Amino acid sequence: MTNLTRYGAPAEGQSAGTLHVVFKVAQSEYLLPSETVLQMESFSGATPVPGAPSYVIGIVQIRGRVVPVVDLRLRFGAGVGETVLDNRIVVGQYGDRVVGLLVDSAREVVKVTAAQLKPPPPILNHQASGFVKAVVQVGSRVMMLVDFARVIGEEPLHGVD
Amino acid sequence: MTPRVDLKEFLSAYVAEVDEQLQAANAKLLEVEASSHAGHANPRSVRDLFRALHTVKGLSAMVGVEPAVAIAHRMETVLRVADTAGGPVALSSVDTLLQAIREIELRVREVSQGKEPSPAPRAILDALDKLDLSSPLSTRGPATALDLDPAVASKLAPFELDLLSAGVRNGRRALRADFSPSPAKAERGFSINTVRERVGSVAEIVKVVPVAVPPTDEAPGALSFAILLLTSASDEEIANAVGIAPESLQVVMPATPTLESATPPPVVAAGDDDLEPLSHRRNIVRVEVSRLDDAMEHLSTLIVTRSRLSRAIAELTSTGANTRALAEIMRDNARQLRDLRAAILRVRMVPVSEVLERIPLLLRGLRRESGKQVRLELDAGNAELDKGVAERLFPAIVHLVRNAVDHAIEAPADRTRAGKPAEGTLRIQCFAQSNTRLELTVSDDGSGVDRASVARRVGRDLATDAALLDALCRAGLSTRDQATTTSGRGMGMDIVKRIVVDQLGGELAMKTAAGVGTTFTLRVPLTISIVDAFTIERHKQRFVVPVSMVEEIFEIEPAAVRFGPSRGMAEGSRAGIVERRGEAVPLVDLAWSLRLAGVGVAPRQAILVRRGGEPTAFGLDRVIGQQEAVVRPLIDPLVQAPGIAGATDLGDGKPTLVLDLVALGGTLAARDGERAA
Repeated sequence: MTNLTRYGAPAEGQSAGTLHVVFKVAQSEYLLPSETVLQMESFSGATPVPGAPSYVIGIVQIRGRVVPVVDLRLRFGAGVGETVLDNRIVVGQYGDRVVGLLVDSAREVVKVTAAQLKPPPPILNHQASGFVKAVVQVGSRVMMLVDFARVIGEEPLHGVD
Repeated sequence: MTPRVDLKEFLSAYVAEVDEQLQAANAKLLEVEASSHAGHANPRSVRDLFRALHTVKGLSAMVGVEPAVAIAHRMETVLRVADTAGGPVALSSVDTLLQAIREIELRVREVSQGKEPSPAPRAILDALDKLDLSSPLSTRGPATALDLDPAVASKLAPFELDLLSAGVRNGRRALRADFSPSPAKAERGFSINTVRERVGSVAEIVKVVPVAVPPTDEAPGALSFAILLLTSASDEEIANAVGIAPESLQVVMPATPTLESATPPPVVAAGDDDLEPLSHRRNIVRVEVSRLDDAMEHLSTLIVTRSRLSRAIAELTSTGANTRALAEIMRDNARQLRDLRAAILRVRMVPVSEVLERIPLLLRGLRRESGKQVRLELDAGNAELDKGVAERLFPAIVHLVRNAVDHAIEAPADRTRAGKPAEGTLRIQCFAQSNTRLELTVSDDGSGVDRASVARRVGRDLATDAALLDALCRAGLSTRDQATTTSGRGMGMDIVKRIVVDQLGGELAMKTAAGVGTTFTLRVPLTISIVDAFTIERHKQRFVVPVSMVEEIFEIEPAAVRFGPSRGMAEGSRAGIVERRGEAVPLVDLAWSLRLAGVGVAPRQAILVRRGGEPTAFGLDRVIGQQEAVVRPLIDPLVQAPGIAGATDLGDGKPTLVLDLVALGGTLAARDGERAA
């Protein structure tokens, strides 16, 4: 029995957890709290914005709103990935800002309890430039909770950008 | 407090209405102050002020903002007395009243932020209570006891009597001076005309009554003039002006001691049914801007749909179908959309005079902080501006006004020494330049920008005003070493430029002359958001360029492009020179300017834009067409880049970038080093 629970089928005793969206970037699994995520969209290309940071793949239009998209592979230093049908834009909100994250795939929603969240090991923290807020280990699966604000450049990064 | 949450809808209306009333109150109070300065009562403004506060009190009571009620109530009490007494307000009380308005404002702001309003400060309540008891505000009572011989008194019209009593209540003295013309006096320069003039300069002449007198040496013509006047000047000054002995002046109306009139006159004027709110105008609906934005948003989607429709029709046409009828409908549709858009835009327009309403209050504070004397001349005419543009533009105007008072206009003593009037003049003028642009100037008659000092700071020569302005607009530049409370560090010109040029797509110009003054000219679009635009293509990428920015589009003749020495630069990054109408125009590849990926053929067409008079041509593959585009600003910091004005949807559901070629041209010179590398 895994501690992870698919959305819609909460296991007993797990109701205290909060919902998180799981997505994959370069083989690794990441989490964002579902209250941060506005929606998920399929990806069919973005309009590049000259002069924007290199990890900004461009802008897309989602329900009449123009949203900048951060390519998480580039942001996380994982190299350029192929554009495949599985690609998703995870649209997140931070304050007034709405920014999309381009990920390899996003299919799952899980419940995570506060007790499951562990601070990232220092060496990982440094390497990940503070993008990882916490590590969640569930059985053999290790997932990383993404610091959305840092990813979209809201707070200064630890170490090198 | 739960009802507040339930009242959310109503609260925003409350905040808007109260805000408007407080603005009006501020403006009226300043009018009252100005009148008091000039020695007049201003019953009308006092009445308006009273009404505004009465409305504030009523609305605040409805929503339960008790601290605002408490303050407004006390102000109302004070003003009711002033109103009844015909409008005298002591200068010393204006500060307290302004402060009280400010305190209400603070509480309303708290409410608008969803907070509980903080209690009314004891100090301001006490100060208001004191005003009521001790200031000349409470001096009242009709001072009609006229001490004048009936022959003269009978010549006075009721309004002249009123003038006299109002003047006396206001602290001036009502005097009678008698002047009898004679040839001897005329020789010394005293005729009735010169006397009128001279008296007029030290007093207000209420009436001059000719009186028949027995002929004497003093009055050989058997004629004398009784001059009835109001003055704050001394007897000597008046007597000198008339050419008579001070002893012969008569007081015609005794000054009324303050709280003597036993029965205060009935408070008729302030009856509640008489109190319509200031803003009450028939057939006017208050609309929240967000609702207008909503309407505009819906219109935007309509325009996008129209673009899709015309694409679909074009495709249909290309298959050989007869689409003539459709094309006709599309033309009608285009016109209707234009009309609808114009109608919505009209609703969003606000008078510029309303936008500038807060400036007198701002200036009052600045005068006080700086100790400088500044007169404001506001001339906004009938010009109107989109609410959204107005809101963005206002901080820029505030910056310019601050700069003018703080940096440009000299201290009174310095001005006098320089042969200028001690009082500086700040002039804000505004007129619609065309149907699409508004020109606003902010000028002062101060010292002018210190060209040499700015040049020293930036380390280069600044021969032209344009170059000087450019230098001033660099972030963080200050011609002063010390921070001042009003302008803080730096002149904030970078902010002004960012607002006018970057945010509003307007122009900023400056004219300055040492010792004479400075004029800033702001040209901004009356509205933003929907523009007529060219769709262009370079390296298979489409962009949109607002038509208003484009001077011309021309074909590039490859043989006619001249390249100068190129320091071994790559092909596409070399700027060429082409000749257009006798002018040498730099030609840069749009692909290089935007760092577009992909290699293609040399550009075949060019778009010419001007930045501060300097032309730049951008090379591209082709201009595809022209259409209306809804510009959505790119506000997220991740995608704010020079030369990118926003994004638009041309009907394919994907954003297309709207280019600001004028701004883009400005960034190119800075990339010179990169090109050489």
